[in-house]
Amino acid sequence: MALARIEELAYWYPEADRPALEDISFELEPGEVVCLLGSSGSGKSTLLRALAGLVPHFHGGQFVGRVEVGGRDTRQAKPSDLAGTVASVFQDPEDQVVFTIVENEVAFGLENIGVPPARIRDRALDALRAVGADHLAGRRTHELSSGELQRVCVAAALALGPALLLLDEPTSQLDPDGAEALLDYASELGCAVVVSEQRPALPLERADRVVFLDRGQVVLDAAREAALRWLAAERPAFLPREPVQLDADAGGDLLARLEGAAFAHGQRLLRVPDLELRRGEVVALIGPNGSGKTTLAKLVAGLLEPTRGLVHRSGRAAYLSQDPGRYVVAERVEEEVALGVGGDLKRARAALEPVGLQGYEHRHPRDLSSGERERLALAAVLVTEPDLLVLDEPTRGMDPERKLELAALLRAQAGDRGTLVVTHDLLFAADVADRVVSQEPMVVAVHA
Amino acid sequence: MSPVPAAALLAGLAAAALLADRTISVAVIAAVLLAVCLRAPRRRRWPYLVGTLASGLVLFLFSPLVAAYGGVVYWEGPTIPVIGTLDVTSEELAEALFQGLRLAAVGLAFAAYALLLDQDRLLLAGGRLRRSVLAVALATRLVPTLERDASGYVEALRGRGVAVAGLRGRARLLSPLVAGSLERSLNLAESMEARGFGRAGRTRAPSPPWSAWDHLALTASALVVLAGVLWL
Repeated sequence: MALARIEELAYWYPEADRPALEDISFELEPGEVVCLLGSSGSGKSTLLRALAGLVPHFHGGQFVGRVEVGGRDTRQAKPSDLAGTVASVFQDPEDQVVFTIVENEVAFGLENIGVPPARIRDRALDALRAVGADHLAGRRTHELSSGELQRVCVAAALALGPALLLLDEPTSQLDPDGAEALLDYASELGCAVVVSEQRPALPLERADRVVFLDRGQVVLDAAREAALRWLAAERPAFLPREPVQLDADAGGDLLARLEGAAFAHGQRLLRVPDLELRRGEVVALIGPNGSGKTTLAKLVAGLLEPTRGLVHRSGRAAYLSQDPGRYVVAERVEEEVALGVGGDLKRARAALEPVGLQGYEHRHPRDLSSGERERLALAAVLVTEPDLLVLDEPTRGMDPERKLELAALLRAQAGDRGTLVVTHDLLFAADVADRVVSQEPMVVAVHA
Repeated sequence: MSPVPAAALLAGLAAAALLADRTISVAVIAAVLLAVCLRAPRRRRWPYLVGTLASGLVLFLFSPLVAAYGGVVYWEGPTIPVIGTLDVTSEELAEALFQGLRLAAVGLAFAAYALLLDQDRLLLAGGRLRRSVLAVALATRLVPTLERDASGYVEALRGRGVAVAGLRGRARLLSPLVAGSLERSLNLAESMEARGFGRAGRTRAPSPPWSAWDHLALTASALVVLAGVLWL
């Protein structure tokens, strides 16, 4: 018997003029691992919410068709009633946290579904251990890095012991080792897993089946091998591949140099590697969560000054924050982009085109999807035409086709400036960079 | 120390500050609470301390100007319609100092609660009041969350070469901060519902047993209130 069944589902968000999902029908078997693919805004997150009962209960809108999970019709069963059978991990870990202490956060769902008190702490700690986060149990949630917080959110879902686990870009802020370990664990749990990812290589390796959404419709629902053949023919950007071979010709004037630099985060003094960045080159910085990549990026961009050592900068720098939610200060997309160029709307509109946001000029930035917000943030930074461009996780929430376009855009503009890209996406790093610098955690001192 | 007796002690100190009649008593309570707040990390404590101490200072500086009593006049200013003659007397100054310290003491008690207590465990101790206590706990986290959001907006603007300075520059952040809070609250509500919040038959993770210090703190909180009524 199917664990979940979707029959002719169509769904419109309130006040939307076109459906977010249309004519969706498929079944999920117990223990099946499904990789859900599609471009940004294709309806992946909405489909996951429909399986959790959040669509339509939480979001309202118009719902046509039928979704059954564990034999229960989601129109009758509320999302809280489905908790335990279904567990969800949403895209943005910062917006999911209820409690201040990690262990309590993981225990929250267990309390809600009525797990006997004597077993709550053990199950919470087991789930944290499973995602390699047991050392965080006593930490305050607001002190964690995004990657650490993402592990905690996954642990909170795993602790429920669900029959169906819904993962919406669960590895977007994890380093490659962390992402691999998490997906390994999820695929070996024995429960059905539906995972939506914009770095599809890892989930594709583990999936039994692939579903591809395009503008709210299922255009592919096939077993893994058949799906790989379809992807190769129709959407090759979603497949693992060799990185683009670059014809590097770097060696312009020196724009930034770090020598023996270190920065104090509270009581930790974090040493960052020595680095030179010249006009005309693109450097990718990779490394595990918490290794100080963002600190290095901010030192290069001039947003931080080193506690020790030397940082030399020349020319104007611009920095893209890893959180695209920080680029929603103005009321309209074009005004947001124009902030960096003294309100010049003409330049702002021109900057929207290369990132594929032409036609969005008059929209409110908060009305954009997470992938669209990432592209807005890029436009807001690129429009300033800096000598030194520092991008912190620029591909978060971006689909593989957009990543290729971004890599091409950065390559095309590489000659005008020096570019530093901080990323967990190794394929993107290889596509875009002349050289890759690996940053390992280097805490050189702990102050008393 | 467990959060319930710690919260009771802080509430007791705040109540004593409100009940006390002597300036020196209120000053001692405020100083004790300030010392407690200074145990919090510097980065987190400054908005609370600046806000609280500035409020107390404003009350101290301005209330003598609008009050009209006392015989020993230190300064006499112009006559303002409705308010009357602006003056500062020794009695007004003493009362302003007393009220300013009182406000600071209550604010510092809240700051210590927000900065140092494990609000989760307070929530867990809430029992049948869980929903209300959860709302209070989430509201308490609003200040540090807004502070983090504001820093993020400023950093993103600086990263584009946009300086955020002065009242006007900071006022520009008000709208995105409010909108961001609303957006986050919706996302949080969705996440809570997906994790079964509101479902019947919930249980509670067991709390660690109280230590002797916890019992002592609870007793002390009652004694402090009593002292505030009778002797301070």
